[in-house]
Amino acid sequence: MALLEVRKLEVQFAFREAALTALRDVSFSLEAGERLGIVGESGAGKSVLAFSILNLISKPGYVSRGEILFGGLDLVKLSREEMRKIRGNRISMIFQDPMMTLNPVLTIGTQMVEALKAHQQITNAHAKEIAINNLAQVQIPAPEARFAQYPHELSGGMRQRVVIAISLLTTPALIIADEPSTALDVTIQAEIIELLLSLCERNRVGLILITHDLGVVSAVTQRTLVMYAGRLVEDAPTREIVQHALHPYTSGLINALPQYTSPGQPLNQIPGVMPSLHNVPAGCAFNPRCPYVMDICRTTVPEYTIKTNTRVACHMVAQQ
Amino acid sequence: MISRWQQFAQSSFVYSFRNDAIAIASAIVLFACLTASFSAPLIAPFDPYDPMQIDLMDSETPPLWQQGGDTRFFFGTDAQGRDLLSTILYGTRISITIGVFAVLLQAFVGISFGLLAGYVGGRLDSLLMRVADIQLSFSTLMVAIVTLAVFQVAFGTELYERLAILMLILVIGIAEWPQYARTVRASVLAEKKKEYVDAARVIGFKPSRIMVRHILPNTLSPILVISTVQVANAIVSEAALSFLGLGMPITKPSLGSLINSGFEFIFSGSWWITIIPSIVLIILVLSINLLGDWLRDVLNPKLYKD
Repeated sequence: MALLEVRKLEVQFAFREAALTALRDVSFSLEAGERLGIVGESGAGKSVLAFSILNLISKPGYVSRGEILFGGLDLVKLSREEMRKIRGNRISMIFQDPMMTLNPVLTIGTQMVEALKAHQQITNAHAKEIAINNLAQVQIPAPEARFAQYPHELSGGMRQRVVIAISLLTTPALIIADEPSTALDVTIQAEIIELLLSLCERNRVGLILITHDLGVVSAVTQRTLVMYAGRLVEDAPTREIVQHALHPYTSGLINALPQYTSPGQPLNQIPGVMPSLHNVPAGCAFNPRCPYVMDICRTTVPEYTIKTNTRVACHMVAQQ
Repeated sequence: MISRWQQFAQSSFVYSFRNDAIAIASAIVLFACLTASFSAPLIAPFDPYDPMQIDLMDSETPPLWQQGGDTRFFFGTDAQGRDLLSTILYGTRISITIGVFAVLLQAFVGISFGLLAGYVGGRLDSLLMRVADIQLSFSTLMVAIVTLAVFQVAFGTELYERLAILMLILVIGIAEWPQYARTVRASVLAEKKKEYVDAARVIGFKPSRIMVRHILPNTLSPILVISTVQVANAIVSEAALSFLGLGMPITKPSLGSLINSGFEFIFSGSWWITIIPSIVLIILVLSINLLGDWLRDVLNPKLYKD
């Protein structure tokens, strides 16, 4: 059985004027220990997807359709109390900016011990032991000293290590990392990503990595989902995506990488911007920006075409 | 490794205190007022609550430095022959006690409501804040006067005199809670959007825990600042009520009731019964307010002065 299975998920935001659909018809599954990347431009619905798995979409958003099965439980239907037992315990989340995710007025140690005690009957001494052990695991030097320090006393990279250590405290089965390296400088980025990868591999933790850095995705994940305007447009093994992407949007993203441009030339861009959720174009949402647009793209939403390991929502791929 | 104490002594907080003459002066004055009033039973020459020590023949003795002064009574005596210095010491103790406990009550009610309103939001927020608006639209003194007057009429002055401290704390405490509720709510609304709150929810903490343990400590600096102002306000409110005859009874006078009791003798020349307690009240409130101003400047880095 898959660790996480999302079936036909639809998330809406109920505003006074109209309901906006932020996610439509999103289905995917994740095996235990599998690492999945979710890529797409800002506003594609990546973070909404992450928060809806944790049942923490901020109001007025809500899951309007579909199921999120985690270990056989439908997370959408759980009560708040039951959901709280899973959150931070079986599923952890790592946020983008480690400057913001640690509480500035509590010591690292207090925050770690608290997180443990929220889910386990545990003595302070034992919790401290686990916490220091975890700090050592994320390669923080002198973990005993860090335990007593406040977040502002640590550098950005160190703080993100602390955040990762906290997320691993309760030995979760799944970690959702929402752009964990974006706020860090480039050299630290690589260290953090490598650390995350090795920890997930060692502890057989499933990982959902949300990012718009295709380089990171290809280094870490086994499978990648590409999102556009709230929909999955391509779901394929990461290697396939990087080497021969099928959906024109995916290949546009890949071509936009600087290394695919010869020196001196302007970078390849996908013309236009992603439509806002207020006016998603009819048919395929990508049609106004697609270089291969056909008549059918403007009228009909493409179904998924399934090829061995890959799912693509594109009329052109379907006709090939 | 430096100790916590050394860390504190080297902090910018202590540094700015040591470089602010007004802050040091008002802290010293306040500290002197506090120690003197709370050790009143030890240092006061007389016990103003003990009728055996009062001789009506001593009444309206002027202060020591005036003609007719008596070496036993440094500040003179009041109309009942009580030593004014002792009565002021005991009265300051009552005033400060009422001020501090009234503010603790305000803070408790205001912070709870403010946290709830800010964190939960929606209808509860609107409800609590409208209640706060209604409460604020009645002035503190009006609420206090009505409540205390009704209580005196309904339960008699004897019971009132026994419960006066408690009643004053309750009335001043309840009348001023919206100050806290508004301040806390505003900070909570700002803090709630920060990612550490999301992170705390993701870790699976209960909402009550997130409010009290994670958000509240981050809103402490505005709370500290208004607390100083509110203590000063509460002391002034209490004095005003006592002056109007609705506060502490004359048998157990606070600064306000002392000022009131001397007021009728001011034209007959016994100015000291009113003036000396007034000066003490002014010094006390002024030192608290100046200290509050300093605290506000220190805790709000955006307000750097040159």
